[in-house]
Amino acid sequence: MMAVTAAPIITLRGVTKAYKTPAGDFYALKGIDTEINPGEFIGILGKSGAGKSTLVNMISGVDHLTTGEIWINGVAIHRLNENQAALWRGRNLGVVYQSFQLMPTLSLLDNIMLAMDFGGLFRPRRSREQAMNLLNEVELSEHARKLPANISGGQQQRVAIARALANDPPIIIADEPTGRLDSTTAEHIFHIFEELVRRGKTILMVSHDPGFVRRYSRILWIADGKFTTTPQFEIGS
Amino acid sequence: MIPPPLPLNPVSPPAISSPLIELRSVVKLFKTDAGQFTALKNINLSFNAGEFTSIMGKSGSGKSTLINMITGIDHPTSGYVRVGDTELHKMSEGKMAVWRGRAMGIVFQFFQLLPTLTILENTLLPMDYCNSYPLAEREPRALNLLKLLGLEDTAAKLPAALSGGQQQIAAIARALANDPQIIVADEPTGNLDSSTEQLILNIFEDLAAHGKTILIVTHDPALAKRSTRRVLISDGELVDEIVAQALPMLPHNLMLKIGQTAIPRTYPAGAVIARQGALDEGLYVVTSGTVEVLSEQRFRAPRVVGKLCRGQYFSELELLEVDYCNLCFRASTGQPVQALCLGLEKFNQLLNETPSAEHLLRQAAVDRGVQYCQPTGPARSFWRRK
Repeated sequence: MMAVTAAPIITLRGVTKAYKTPAGDFYALKGIDTEINPGEFIGILGKSGAGKSTLVNMISGVDHLTTGEIWINGVAIHRLNENQAALWRGRNLGVVYQSFQLMPTLSLLDNIMLAMDFGGLFRPRRSREQAMNLLNEVELSEHARKLPANISGGQQQRVAIARALANDPPIIIADEPTGRLDSTTAEHIFHIFEELVRRGKTILMVSHDPGFVRRYSRILWIADGKFTTTPQFEIGS
Repeated sequence: MIPPPLPLNPVSPPAISSPLIELRSVVKLFKTDAGQFTALKNINLSFNAGEFTSIMGKSGSGKSTLINMITGIDHPTSGYVRVGDTELHKMSEGKMAVWRGRAMGIVFQFFQLLPTLTILENTLLPMDYCNSYPLAEREPRALNLLKLLGLEDTAAKLPAALSGGQQQIAAIARALANDPQIIVADEPTGNLDSSTEQLILNIFEDLAAHGKTILIVTHDPALAKRSTRRVLISDGELVDEIVAQALPMLPHNLMLKIGQTAIPRTYPAGAVIARQGALDEGLYVVTSGTVEVLSEQRFRAPRVVGKLCRGQYFSELELLEVDYCNLCFRASTGQPVQALCLGLEKFNQLLNETPSAEHLLRQAAVDRGVQYCQPTGPARSFWRRK
């Protein structure tokens, strides 16, 4: 049983998201309510188009909600302006995407230092040291000087994870982080996330890989813009 | 002159006619658990300023490795690589990063925009990293680039809020940030729908029209058609460009073999190159001049039924399949013809080894016969007589 003594780190209240289309408003999210506690490893699962990415985009500030409230660590992030949101995000959230999104012309080390720079926490000497430590944690310090194109996809995703940790954020959001990787590499990446949870990070992971279902501490199944208790699997997966 | 719409430095014509990019005897070996693997085998290749080239090949053929030699992302095992005045094979990685940031714009299949930075900040990155423009000029320049590419409304958004196509256009804006002379794109449309692909291609065409040198790695023939030059790589070796142009229907390894074994020959103006019963070679690929195709039917004056120019071929099969109109291939009277020629024996050996290729070439020959000898060919009159 999970202890629920701590206050939730993330609270969503009545979150809706509407997109304007020629055929009228399309509701990608239709009233989402949930609380996520520190240290939870949340799987957000559902079919394509169900609203999984839209939901995490609301939390990571990629997109703005239409109605409702999102509170993270006591901050009403739906009320922040762009600049406040950017700074807040840089310190509180790490994001990892399916296709790594490393700067191709910079070394692995520089990619991580860049994230520290934009988090407003950059101090040249210490940052370099920290970036090396992060690379070491994902077992890539020997490749620090290499460019992303010279390492494998799984290694690139490990660098992306190290980068997400650059400013030591309490929350990591991962959108299909294993979607482009073979199953052995995917397992390795998933294991890194499990390790981060063990160290107290709160993780929200979007996935439609049914293989990892049992390993989340909780699953939010989403269908047609709403939570559901019925497991949602893609046909054929 | 109409001023260019993109904020690019005026391109001055190269002072000397040496190519902008030059690779000589480039070899790249990879060590794998299964032993050594030669990804590039003695590549000699150059690109002139302003060329829009597509680099094609199957996956694993070496096309990305080739591009990585030019961007300096990877180093040759041996050989010489020059871009502009810079000899890359001699450069250290530290110097390379700054050089690359200024000289090259690189666009990747999966965009690689930094997820926590806005589109504007992503576009500013290369200018910040290379310190290439005064601080005050950077943001207006980035905004201008985004505007010219139709992305001004997205400047404050994060990449994940954009469609794949918009993210790729933003990646192009970032690649243009330091106004590099060379743009390298590795499968830039591989992950996009076809209408977005068209949009991206229009942008590349426009950049080429403004003097940028563009190299695109692709395995999409539709994309390759839009470029002005096509380089084909097969098993780490370059296919002769004229052979690839003339015989695109053949398997890549066969084109490679033809290019490697064919011998250049010159035929004086007006000379007969091949006719029924007088054939020296199996396959001819025209590299310069014009070959006239004549029909020399009995009791009729010879007449020109076709013309073949640089990048077109003819073979023994035309003479065999179209024997009813008695073809003759001759150098036009205006100028000599140069052709890459494959001997009869070698040509037949290749056809025997690859039945699918024989079928395709034979079919092409039959189609040509119809084109050459209709509507008054003897085949028809034969049926009429019957």
